[in-house]
Amino acid sequence: MKITMTEIVERALTGKPCSEREFDIRLSKRARELVKEYGISYDPANPVPRDFGLANSVFKAGFQLFCELGVYCTSTNRIMSFSEEEVRYALKHAPAEVWFGEGIDRRALTPRKPEDKRPPWCFLGAAGAPVSSEQILSILVESYAKIPQANSITTPALTRVRGVRISPGTPLEILGAIETVRIAREAMRRAGRPGLPIMNLVATATTDSSLISALNSEFGARSSDGVLVGILAELKTNFALLNKAFYAKSLGFRIAGELGPVYGGYAGGAGETAIVTVAEHLMGLMVYQADWYLAFPVHAIYTANSSRELLWVRNISAQAISLNTNLLSLYLSYIAAGPMTEMALYEIAAQISSIVVSGVSIEAVGVAKARHEDRLTPIEPKFAAEVAYASTRLSLQDVNELVKQILPRYEDKLKNPPLGKKFQEICDIETGRVSREYLELVTKVKKELSDLGLPIE
Amino acid sequence: MRKMLEEKYFAELREAIIAGDVQRARECAEKIVKEGLDPLKAIEEAIQPAAKIVGEKFEKLEIFLVDLIMSADAMKAAAEVLTSAIKAKRPLKPVGKVVIATVQGDIHDIGKNIVAALLVANGFEVYDLGVDVPALKIIEKAEEVGADVIALSALMTSTMRGQKDVIDMLKAMSIRDKYIVVVGGGATTAEWAREIGADGWAETAPEGVSLIRRLIEEKRGVKP
Repeated sequence: MKITMTEIVERALTGKPCSEREFDIRLSKRARELVKEYGISYDPANPVPRDFGLANSVFKAGFQLFCELGVYCTSTNRIMSFSEEEVRYALKHAPAEVWFGEGIDRRALTPRKPEDKRPPWCFLGAAGAPVSSEQILSILVESYAKIPQANSITTPALTRVRGVRISPGTPLEILGAIETVRIAREAMRRAGRPGLPIMNLVATATTDSSLISALNSEFGARSSDGVLVGILAELKTNFALLNKAFYAKSLGFRIAGELGPVYGGYAGGAGETAIVTVAEHLMGLMVYQADWYLAFPVHAIYTANSSRELLWVRNISAQAISLNTNLLSLYLSYIAAGPMTEMALYEIAAQISSIVVSGVSIEAVGVAKARHEDRLTPIEPKFAAEVAYASTRLSLQDVNELVKQILPRYEDKLKNPPLGKKFQEICDIETGRVSREYLELVTKVKKELSDLGLPIE
Repeated sequence: MRKMLEEKYFAELREAIIAGDVQRARECAEKIVKEGLDPLKAIEEAIQPAAKIVGEKFEKLEIFLVDLIMSADAMKAAAEVLTSAIKAKRPLKPVGKVVIATVQGDIHDIGKNIVAALLVANGFEVYDLGVDVPALKIIEKAEEVGADVIALSALMTSTMRGQKDVIDMLKAMSIRDKYIVVVGGGATTAEWAREIGADGWAETAPEGVSLIRRLIEEKRGVKP
């Protein structure tokens, strides 16, 4: 039988006590041992592996790690444990399709397989990157909704509301979260796609109270939208996160287990981070009873996931999930460079092409690490969607060769990437129209990628 | 003979620290004291170079966070033995005292933990207050321990204001100049640090440690 939310909370309250430090160290050591036991080795020469035996080993190791370690609840300092039988049962009964959106924009998110010819689900937009005003948020979302491949929208996060900087846990955060949903809905209506779902409800809300406030339908949130519930790195949760999951689930929202294991952090190296990525998918399934998954393994130093190691981690863990489960997984791309730089487009091309052939769907794109205010435009997600569609015509081997040619064009700049320009410097703030200079740059890079073997128009 | 003994034990201590072997590092430090070797020299020639190597290895991700933590623990264990031996003769001036926390509203701790571990590894006295820490609690701790530096982490754009709140509160309490305040974390930028009046910002943990070291040097006018 399915585990209820009440049982989940009970396990957090009565599980085996453990210090957080002990749990972190246990996780790191066990992940390292499992990588050895399963013979998982990172191959820098092939960032897009085509070795399904390896992918299956990554899955088995991740499954074992999750079942052996459980999940740490930082609110109670206890470990929530799950048996192998419980996890297998939940995997067997996990939803193999989930519907999002309304009216003519209502679509089903379904699982994909490696080298799947069907296009991925395109969850497009800002990936929660910061914007300084309601006006920029509005014009950006309208532009995202005009991208033909968009199946759903990822909104930016407001840093200010009515000109005042938002502070967490205050009414300003609640107001910011409400405004984000209200403005985004209105912007999508202006674009002629009022039924498009927002799948990152609500980027501006950090605390459980502000998320719960913003999920009120009065402000435009719909249960056919997606709600992100974060997993603390690594394999941890707390009651504020469980509050979010419980409330959103009760209203019928589509919940995502949002997981960003840190390469170089407690997860460790490439092999370990890949298996922790698998384990955290299972945590989303068991603890949040997630309907879908948003994965973004990230580099501890670069805080992006376009480096060679991270491409490998993303691709092998995606193949592991895709080959062994029906979990509806999307991988989020964080790029280091800012808008209107060749590097940003190369990073997107490498990440998106490889993850699409690895058998999952996409969220694109966190530009300039989704860190720098207003450093984003509608061009990056649009370009990502075009790369995604083109990649469905390629094999893993084709994309491996392609990525091997793209990587040398940017990997030495990851430590000090160019930040490019701000939205206001590239786009007309009233209409969202993009500068000719940027469009010409995109055309130039597309031509290069086409010459390298990506069938992009 | 004494020189050879020093070289042997200092090399052993360096190796134990780099390997993150707490037990071996402590035992090695005890042997150094027992043999009557200079404990201050052991700190300077074994612990500090080992800390540098560990920091460099982490920066290149040749080692990972758990290795860094184990090395920091090994360093701490050895340093405790050596400093108590020094204290018996003369007081040892700390490299610097740092109060570190993830600000109120933010529950993310990996970045902060990496900085804390690297600071310990570099001989700083670190008071890690954890996550979601209110501004006043951070300041009270800094006052209590006589900190040199307040280091503030925030991952989310929606929580970075917590860093500004600490600086604003320090100003309101008329003690802003007592502390070096540095900020970092996923959402933050150099521009943000300037906007809120922080003394410095670093993108990565190793850069953060170098920044803190430099700011202390500048404030004291001497090398820490």
